[in-house]
Amino acid sequence: MFFHIVLERNMQLHPRHFGRDLREKLVSKLMKDVEGTCSGRHGFVVAITGIENVGKGLIRDGTGFVTFPVKYQCVVFRPFKGEILEAVVSMVNKMGFFAEAGPVQIFVSNHLIPDDMEFQSGDMPNYTTSDGSVKIQKDSEVRLKIIGTRVDATEIFCIGTIKDDFLGVISDPGTTS
Amino acid sequence: MSIEPFNKLVKLAARAFYDDITAKGDNQPKSGRSDNRGIAVVVLDALTRRQWVREEDLAKDLKLHLKQLRRTLRFFEEEKLVTRDHRKETAKGAKAYSAAVAATADNLPGRDGEEKIKLHTHSYCCLDYAQIHDVVRYRMQRMKKKLKDELDNKNTVQEYVCPKCGKRYNALDAIRLISFEDDSFHCESCNTELVAESDKLASQDIGDGDDNARRRRREKLRDLLQKMEAELKPLTDQLSRVKDLEAPDYGTLQAWELRASVVARASSSDPTGNDSNRSGQGGTPMPFLGETKVEVAFSGVEEKGEIKSENAPMKVLPPWMIKEGMNLTNEQRGVVKQESNMEGTSASMDMKDEKKLISQEDDAKNLQDEYVKAYYAAILQRQKEQEEATKREQDLSANSILTDVDPSSSRKRQRDDDGEDVEWEDTPTAGETFKVDLNVEAAELSGDEEDDDDGIDWEEG
Ligand SMILES: [Zn+2]
Repeated sequence: MFFHIVLERNMQLHPRHFGRDLREKLVSKLMKDVEGTCSGRHGFVVAITGIENVGKGLIRDGTGFVTFPVKYQCVVFRPFKGEILEAVVSMVNKMGFFAEAGPVQIFVSNHLIPDDMEFQSGDMPNYTTSDGSVKIQKDSEVRLKIIGTRVDATEIFCIGTIKDDFLGVISDPGTTS
Repeated sequence: MSIEPFNKLVKLAARAFYDDITAKGDNQPKSGRSDNRGIAVVVLDALTRRQWVREEDLAKDLKLHLKQLRRTLRFFEEEKLVTRDHRKETAKGAKAYSAAVAATADNLPGRDGEEKIKLHTHSYCCLDYAQIHDVVRYRMQRMKKKLKDELDNKNTVQEYVCPKCGKRYNALDAIRLISFEDDSFHCESCNTELVAESDKLASQDIGDGDDNARRRRREKLRDLLQKMEAELKPLTDQLSRVKDLEAPDYGTLQAWELRASVVARASSSDPTGNDSNRSGQGGTPMPFLGETKVEVAFSGVEEKGEIKSENAPMKVLPPWMIKEGMNLTNEQRGVVKQESNMEGTSASMDMKDEKKLISQEDDAKNLQDEYVKAYYAAILQRQKEQEEATKREQDLSANSILTDVDPSSSRKRQRDDDGEDVEWEDTPTAGETFKVDLNVEAAELSGDEEDDDDGIDWEEG
């Protein structure tokens, strides 16, 4: 799920950036530092959408670096148990397959793949129905449901299922999507 | 409060779930002689026949070693079936318990001679019926859910195990386990290829992966689920039987002793007390069950006298009515007054009369309100008296026992009121149909209002 929230961060800026475009430097550094990171609490920071306010800088003893407390708005993505996501299959093996929904990695183990799909090894390992009409392989798009998340301080990993109504391959050439 | 269904529940649960529990420490080697499986069932059964029991006594009764019993009890405490209480007590404290036991009138052997104890820690235990009910239900629910989940593979996190070092992983670790050499999962510590663990419930002999195996596993699970449902049928039946019953609750050890001793004293001074003692359900003594003594309060002489004095002015009402529901006699008296008034007027009522009637009704309402107030005051006083009565334990005459029992008696009376409403509607004489109907309605309304305020106020107020 996406959220638009306000976060705060203390930015350290090298003295060489002090000048007319100090603020721009600060913002671009913030983007570089923060976008794409993940915190267990808020999820993945997708994009910074605005700066709320930049506090007074504090000069560090000895180094000359200045610390600015920066409040910024950003879009975060946080997967939840029970959430339905659309994801791209990144890897298939006999244990199941991995898929990515943006920054989130999801593993679907083989017992959460419908029983009528069987693993086929080979160059392009895949799960295929017995009549061959549905195939899950690398780069397939699937709709899956998250059944568990592991949230660490810096990463979120999910496990999902496609064994439910309306879940499974959505980029099937046979279907219009 | 019926104990028999709950005891049956305990017994069934004991046999279903605790049949093969041993009361042995894990460190002891198991020999044929010390194999004491089934001891848990015996202990639970014994507890269904007792209330609070000192563990020493229980051990003696069951001819068990105290240590062994304690171990079993500790286990049941953890299983939330049994509440225990430990206290350091002098001979006097022990006596309090013994007195309480004596009051239960179920003479357990081997209790005498315990009074000499100086200051030892004694442990007591008692079944916690309400919790047992919950625990058993929860257990069944979990069993069913686990099987069902595995059956339709819902929300189960696949586990993986290293065949070499036995280290376990689950699907949430998957990202760390992929090896990029062969795209399969490898153990983090020994790099052996992991195997998906086949379901714990289904047997291991089925190889991983292939479709056939999955189908067989499902069949097995379905079998297991069916078997479980069939074999636990008696237990589920008992659970549903017990569902809406109030679980017996002996309270804490102290509360139980207090109640037991109060009843004991009552039974020593009051011959009817014994009666109630014996009426404990299923042969289990329940000394604190005061409800059975409802009638005692009714037959109070002073009440009867009051009834008579009340009865005198209004002759319209048959005495069997007033005897039971007091508050209704109030309304009835008001009604009767109105009735007699109306008898004087003509049968067709004009507006003025109607107004008058309404004002009369208002008066009656005010009166009732007054009575309600008085009643609550009386109740408050009662409660205070009751507290005092329980406080000064040594001087408990049969009289104070009566007050002790009173709440339940009033409850009874209330029930009688309900019955009486119907009877009372019949009483008006046939002549004054329409007016009387009005009255009836009004009185009924107020009767409903006062449903929970029963007639006690008449005695005090
Ligand atoms: Zn290993």
